[in-house]
Amino acid sequence: MGGLLFASAVGVTPTPSFFQELAAMVLPTLGHQIMAYAAFGLYVLLIVGGGLAAALARTLVRALMGLVVTFLGVAGMYLLMASPFLAFMQLLIYIGAICVLIFFAIMLVRNTASGEEMHLPGLGQAAFAGLSAVGVLAVFGPVIVLNAGALMKDALPTETPLAELGEGLLNYYVMPFELISVILLVAMAGGAFLAYERRFKAQDEVTKP
Amino acid sequence: MDINLLSAIKLVIALAAIILLLIGNSVVMVWLERKVAGYVQRRPGPYVVGPHGILQTVADAVKLQVKQITIPGSSDRVLFLLAPVLSMFPMFLMFLVIPFGPWLTGLEVNLGLLLILAFAGLESLAVISGGWASNNKYGLLGAARAVSQSVAYEIPLILAMLAIAFQNGSLNLTVITAGQAGWVWNWNIFSQPLAFLIFVITCFGETNRAPFDLPEGESELTGGYHTEYSGMGFALFFMAEYTSMLLVSFLAAVLFLGGSSGPVLDGVWWTFLKMGGFMTFMIWVRWTFPRVRFDQLLNINWKWLLPLGLLNLWITAIVIKVMQ
Repeated sequence: MGGLLFASAVGVTPTPSFFQELAAMVLPTLGHQIMAYAAFGLYVLLIVGGGLAAALARTLVRALMGLVVTFLGVAGMYLLMASPFLAFMQLLIYIGAICVLIFFAIMLVRNTASGEEMHLPGLGQAAFAGLSAVGVLAVFGPVIVLNAGALMKDALPTETPLAELGEGLLNYYVMPFELISVILLVAMAGGAFLAYERRFKAQDEVTKP
Repeated sequence: MDINLLSAIKLVIALAAIILLLIGNSVVMVWLERKVAGYVQRRPGPYVVGPHGILQTVADAVKLQVKQITIPGSSDRVLFLLAPVLSMFPMFLMFLVIPFGPWLTGLEVNLGLLLILAFAGLESLAVISGGWASNNKYGLLGAARAVSQSVAYEIPLILAMLAIAFQNGSLNLTVITAGQAGWVWNWNIFSQPLAFLIFVITCFGETNRAPFDLPEGESELTGGYHTEYSGMGFALFFMAEYTSMLLVSFLAAVLFLGGSSGPVLDGVWWTFLKMGGFMTFMIWVRWTFPRVRFDQLLNINWKWLLPLGLLNLWITAIVIKVMQ
């Protein structure tokens, strides 16, 4: 209604055929592919670049910013795989909540922008870090590559409706879903326990003569 | 998904219009805020530049643009310069999914509400990194306050929005608006008064507005997280604050106040009228209520808003189940 009013007020009569023609001008398949690969490349660049920034940063906050960039890239990957719900949840939970909380934790310990908390890792530490990174890759890499054929059967990913996703989480996958919340509960209980123990110790020291 | 030319053109036009809207909003709102503040305090407010001082903000904007940007010594230069940009940039995306009218939406997304919440998290990140990178104790204190405040107030805000999403069975803002069409009593404010109350209170917390403006707290922290910013860095933070005010006002209009439907003559103008009313309400509250203390701020949230929000969500779910 408002649209018609506006159009008649301006004196433009919208010609449906022109808009239909414009709407029919779809990008050719090749164009789609090029854009998809460009997006994929951009997201990979974000993930790898963010990871490198996180690993090589001189200060903790810079490292956290690298983590944020990596999360952004991962959210983009979810978008590319036609699951916008996961992408937005990635932004909401990982960037909006977890990164902000990490920031808070960093601010609670004393540190400055000059990066004095940075120590060069020892050889043993670097070796362990490399080993754990390569180990994960060695386990999951072959699994992914070997199963890629089965996953690639329908080349274009289709968006799962949100209702279906929720039903799956509360029906078929309810056990893993609840187990994950148990893990979070354990983490929370552990955090509370650590904090309480420290507080009681501090009180004991105060009350000691 | 096919990328067709019409939707691409529409997206570009929508983005351009949104950028214009946000700039215009900042210019008008800063003037309105100072004018309302003036009348609340029984003085005329800005009066010199233009009739009734209406060009005062334009003069201020020119002044801010030509000011030198000072970067404090031994601060994190990259983060310091990036933070204001990060606070302003996601705003343009969030306005894309707002249904100004039934047919006037930049980008029709099924998960519109979720998109807004997702990108709103970036703003608190910008405030924190700006405050931290300043290498200033007031900045750091403001940033620390901003984190605990925004993390705390986000939860009741999401709970209030979730009750609306439950009721309409959708996260699509256009669908939520369409569900309130018809008469005035179809508006969600009448079916979800508690959710609206929680939404209004958390809005002040999320936008860092008085009485919850502790991250800035100019009488305690000399400006809080943006103490060290000058020129356009400060202007971008300032614009981001007024833009987030605009965003929550539009959200209030769309989620609770019926969007583009009105008592008579439905149309885009109703959305803008309701938005303007809510903005004026926010300004009025700022100049009426004193700033709360920080423990009071967190107590309101964790002891009142969060349990009430959960209760509201629970009742909504039960009513929906019974009505089925």
